[in-house]
Amino acid sequence: MAVCTTAILIKDLCKEFPVPFRRETVKAVQNLSLEVPAGEVYGLLGPNGSGKSTTMKIVLGLVRPTSGTTAVFGVDSRRVESRENVGFLPENPYFYKYLTGLETLLFFGKLCGLSGRPLRERSRALLQTVGLEDAADRRLGGYSKGMLQRIGLAQALLGDPKLLVLDEPTAGVDPAGAHAIRDLILQCKQRGITVLLCSHLLGQVQEICDRIGIMDRGELLAEGRIDDLAEKKNQIELVLENATPALLESLGAMSRASGAQVVSQRGARTDLEKFFLDVTRHRS
Amino acid sequence: MNQAQNPISLSLRRVWALSHNTFLELVRLKVFYFLLLFAFLIIGSSLFTVQFSFQNPLQVLKDVGLGAMSIFSWLLGLLCTANLLPKDMEDRTLYTILAKPVSRFEYLQGKLYGVFLLLGLSVLLMSLLFAGVLAIREQQEIAELARNLSPENLPAAVAEIRAATFQMNLLPGIALILLKAMLCSTLTLLLSTLATSSVFTVLTSVVVYLIGHVQGIAREAWLAGGQASPLLKVLVAGMALAFPDLQLFNVVDEIAVGTALPAQLFWQVAGFGGLYILVYFLLAQLVFSTREL
Repeated sequence: MAVCTTAILIKDLCKEFPVPFRRETVKAVQNLSLEVPAGEVYGLLGPNGSGKSTTMKIVLGLVRPTSGTTAVFGVDSRRVESRENVGFLPENPYFYKYLTGLETLLFFGKLCGLSGRPLRERSRALLQTVGLEDAADRRLGGYSKGMLQRIGLAQALLGDPKLLVLDEPTAGVDPAGAHAIRDLILQCKQRGITVLLCSHLLGQVQEICDRIGIMDRGELLAEGRIDDLAEKKNQIELVLENATPALLESLGAMSRASGAQVVSQRGARTDLEKFFLDVTRHRS
Repeated sequence: MNQAQNPISLSLRRVWALSHNTFLELVRLKVFYFLLLFAFLIIGSSLFTVQFSFQNPLQVLKDVGLGAMSIFSWLLGLLCTANLLPKDMEDRTLYTILAKPVSRFEYLQGKLYGVFLLLGLSVLLMSLLFAGVLAIREQQEIAELARNLSPENLPAAVAEIRAATFQMNLLPGIALILLKAMLCSTLTLLLSTLATSSVFTVLTSVVVYLIGHVQGIAREAWLAGGQASPLLKVLVAGMALAFPDLQLFNVVDEIAVGTALPAQLFWQVAGFGGLYILVYFLLAQLVFSTREL
């Protein structure tokens, strides 16, 4: 059987929702076409109501398209088989409160076709990976937001998926938790797992994603590699250490003489997230 | 995941996982304990209240016990089923489940079988209490006889009491009580696939329950004398098809007085109930398969 190198293929996708008691429809997705090769981390961005979640749900077979097709590793999304290699973390995941962390993974693992000792071992290993081994026997009703996100990620990874679909994976999570989730996503990327990521946190998207697509009002407005899209074509950033005022003055003069322009000059700053993590790590 | 596994066996395992999970969810609900407690109180207290009745005590106990089992198993099935789908949809747990290789058909089966497991356990627990209450009353009756009758007449009287206490026809009666609760739960599941609110589902289920109990009487009244118009006959036939005649399951009165339930009648009613469960479930699946999540 030929190996499919395209993880997600969306062609001319349209989705309209009828408005109750009216003859109108709301166009959630309009003529969307995109392709995510296997092994890539693809960020799907856009403002609220842009059609990202609807697109995601159609790819997962949760919602039927009005027209167009979507396929996961060559299998039509409407077929149950298309989800055999997919792990999904919804936005603000909510699981059964009365189940413990381990019971939750055992439940979802059985739905993936796992059972017995292999399932138990995999569940315990994933709990360790997401840092929840101490909370394995605690009911989810007592989990914090960050813990719920992590158990959500663990259940998404249970079936050893080839495609991970993550909807706002760090929403509402503190910086340390978000950092840990980001690292997990990067580990998945290194293992060759394809990731489709929806997020409003553009800084994180910039760190993790290979390519992005920007949607608004159901349409794909821009798509491409982040470096290509975000690069300012005629500007260069230069960071100097221990530069004297005289050196800065002469650099400015040289720029003006050659027709270039110093757009801005300021002291370099560390990333606020790195600063926060450094401070809290030292304290703990 | 092992792709070489039998797809049917994988499907059955998924349905079992969903059923077991639904059963756990329902067993941990407060409403389950409240209803079971009330049922126990009513069945248990009949042991004391029976002394104030002028009727045969054992008959009164059976009336109360079986009646309580019927009402509470129906109520439990209704309240537990009505909120299953809306809760999963509202919490978005449904998305996480259906994002796995789980079909909507398997999901719905799992939910329904979980309710059936709960109903089976509840009826079993109520039956055990009921049997205990009957056994206690039997001992009380025998003790009373021993005080009042001569030793020669005692064995025959005791045998009569024992025969009246526990009769084999109690079991088919209890089975029909369980089947009726399962049928009403399946109907509630169908209504919840159509409705957007669990309150609406509960109210509609109660209305259908009432219609199911009076439709036989209404049918006789409307069709009496053979003067009914063709339109009325069609409407009555439609009502009879859409709503099951739940009076058929009410064999409590006959069982309480000691009448044996004919096997043929039992299997006819059981088949009738089973057919309605199947039809309602398939309709629920049809609606749910096309519903936008």
